[in-house]
Amino acid sequence: MSIQIQNVSRAFGTFQALKDISIDIESGELIALLGPSGSGKTTLLRILAGLEGLDEGAILFDGQNITNVSPKERGVGFVFQHYALFRHMTVFDNVAYGLKVRPRKTRPSKDEINKKVRDLLALVKLDNFADRYPAQLSGGQRQRVALARALAVEPKVLLLDEPFGALDAKVRKELRRWLRKLHNEFHVTSIFVTHDQEEALDVANRIIVMNNGKIEQVGTPEEVYEHPNSPFVYDFLGNVNLFRGRLHKGKLTQGQFEIDVPTYLDSHYEVVGYVRPHDIQIEKNQLNNESVAAKIVHIHMVGPVVQIELKREDVDEYLEAEIPKEHYKKLGIKNGDTVFIKPKQLKVFVPEDFSI
Amino acid sequence: MTKPLNVEHDSPSIAGHGATKSYAMQESMIVKWSLIAISLVFLALFLILPLVSIFVTALEKGWATYVASITDPDALAAIKLTLTVVLIVVPLNAIFGIVAAWAITKFSFKGKNVLITLIDLPFAVSPVIAGLVFILLFGAQGLFGEWLFQNDIKIVFALPGIVIATMFVTFPFVARELIPLMQMQGITEEEASISLGASGWKTFFLVTLPNIKWGLLYGLILCNARTIGEFGAVSVVSGHIRGMTNTMPLHIEILYNEYQFTAAFAVASLMSILAIITIIIKNFIEWKAKDE
Ligand SMILES: Nc1ncnc2c1ncn2[C@@H]1O[C@H](COP(=O)(O)OP(=O)(O)OP(=O)(O)O)[C@@H](O)[C@H]1O
Ligand SMILES: [Mg+2]
Repeated sequence: MSIQIQNVSRAFGTFQALKDISIDIESGELIALLGPSGSGKTTLLRILAGLEGLDEGAILFDGQNITNVSPKERGVGFVFQHYALFRHMTVFDNVAYGLKVRPRKTRPSKDEINKKVRDLLALVKLDNFADRYPAQLSGGQRQRVALARALAVEPKVLLLDEPFGALDAKVRKELRRWLRKLHNEFHVTSIFVTHDQEEALDVANRIIVMNNGKIEQVGTPEEVYEHPNSPFVYDFLGNVNLFRGRLHKGKLTQGQFEIDVPTYLDSHYEVVGYVRPHDIQIEKNQLNNESVAAKIVHIHMVGPVVQIELKREDVDEYLEAEIPKEHYKKLGIKNGDTVFIKPKQLKVFVPEDFSI
Repeated sequence: MTKPLNVEHDSPSIAGHGATKSYAMQESMIVKWSLIAISLVFLALFLILPLVSIFVTALEKGWATYVASITDPDALAAIKLTLTVVLIVVPLNAIFGIVAAWAITKFSFKGKNVLITLIDLPFAVSPVIAGLVFILLFGAQGLFGEWLFQNDIKIVFALPGIVIATMFVTFPFVARELIPLMQMQGITEEEASISLGASGWKTFFLVTLPNIKWGLLYGLILCNARTIGEFGAVSVVSGHIRGMTNTMPLHIEILYNEYQFTAAFAVASLMSILAIITIIIKNFIEWKAKDE
């Protein structure tokens, strides 16, 4: 089912939680909704589910305006931020609930319900937990019950609010992979909220980045990660180093230090260049004034990449670089060494246009 | 739900302290046992002793007199009236209590705080004043007195008056019990239910009610106990018509004023038994609720 969100706004009292949100989502997409705390992600999902009203705008499912349709009729599966399992029901009854409450005409028979619930519990690997109560489950298990419960009613749209919220990294990864598999199997249009940019980049086919109740950017993971359209998105998706300086005739200058930015030909006094840690090149010797001296403060080795923290010698600023382990070994550098760094790729934003 | 505090004595988790049975620890033992002793003496003096004396006095003149006092037509009428009032008041207050608690906890609206304060009003007002208010409203000289008389509706000095006064006095029990419970539980389970396609009624009966059932029962028990025992408000509106508008407490008072001590205590013993049963059920509910 395709979803169209048209100019949706929502205020709580005087606080504008959502401002003029418009997104088109095609049938079968798996969308990640990313943004800092309080940016309106939950509010947007709740509006889609019909649990929250909207002040302006419209929601269309498959081209039909459902803005005023009750949540009961929307056929949306909602996995809540804090699970919201029925605490007095067993896992089985939780999953069966959506089928059992159907009016007699559309309700499946008892055997059909039984079979369906068993199948779903097998799918979420909870076959042996059918008779437990939510209080007797771990966070990850509860999460999967919530998912199975939402899937039982065969929703046309699946909304997941931080589905992997309070779980440890390993379980998150497992569930994340599992969600993608599930999505490939069921082709339900799905939107999931996450705080974790890595998760969003990994699972989703498109990412929506929200900030302050507004949409910052919508795009594929590559688009959003490689070509952020604002400093906010750049900053939010991964670590970043800042180079402040003057822009003139395709060069960003900061004191002695000059970087070629051939794509930016106009002049500005105050600009900020953004460089990802893995786009920082480290050399032992100075080549030209395109590189700048920095002292290694800390070296952190995790797996195949080495994270290096540096302090620039010309200005009082810290930098973060990531280089492959082999390269690191070849360089033979250690804590306290002075090296020369050079941004390989740099994205320039002019602060007048963007307030950070 | 108001549960007794779980004070853990001599916690076993303090490891390594066993060797040094310190002076401080001995002192705390003395404090502990003195406190327990004081509470026990207090309980015996003010609760057990009176309770025992009720039964002793009731049975003073033998079993036959006891049975006769209870089976006296006026006594039976009083028992019947009390039970009738219970059967009307408790279910009605259950419904009103749930509705009020639901409105307060699951919706946000203007004047919510006023409503919460109003629910507490019966606890703040003396029952006698509550009774007088209903006399002022429905009595012969009251605001609606004329109209009621013309339409031949009897409220004051009749069952409706007793029911209304009792309802007023016992209204807060259910709502007060449910509001904090429902506030704590929030509305996410209800939202989940609705988004799974359940109607409002199904959501209430399948999700909300099971979640609040122990709190509700607890409130009903308290409401029930107070309904049986209510004296002040009922005394004002009942008119003390023997065999007709006397509830059990009123009947006891009349017997007592007429120096029929044995009979008075016999009926009182019956009420005490009801009270003891109530306490047992209450404890059972607390125990059950904690279990879940
Ligand atoms: N019912 C409400 N009443 C008042 N303000 C609200 C209400 N619901 C949300 N808000 C406000 O709207 C803003 C957006 O809230 P929302 O829950 O959508 O954020 P979020 O992006 O989901 O955050 P998080 O990542 O922390 O869950 C917040 O500032 C929040 O305080
Ligand atoms: Mg949220």
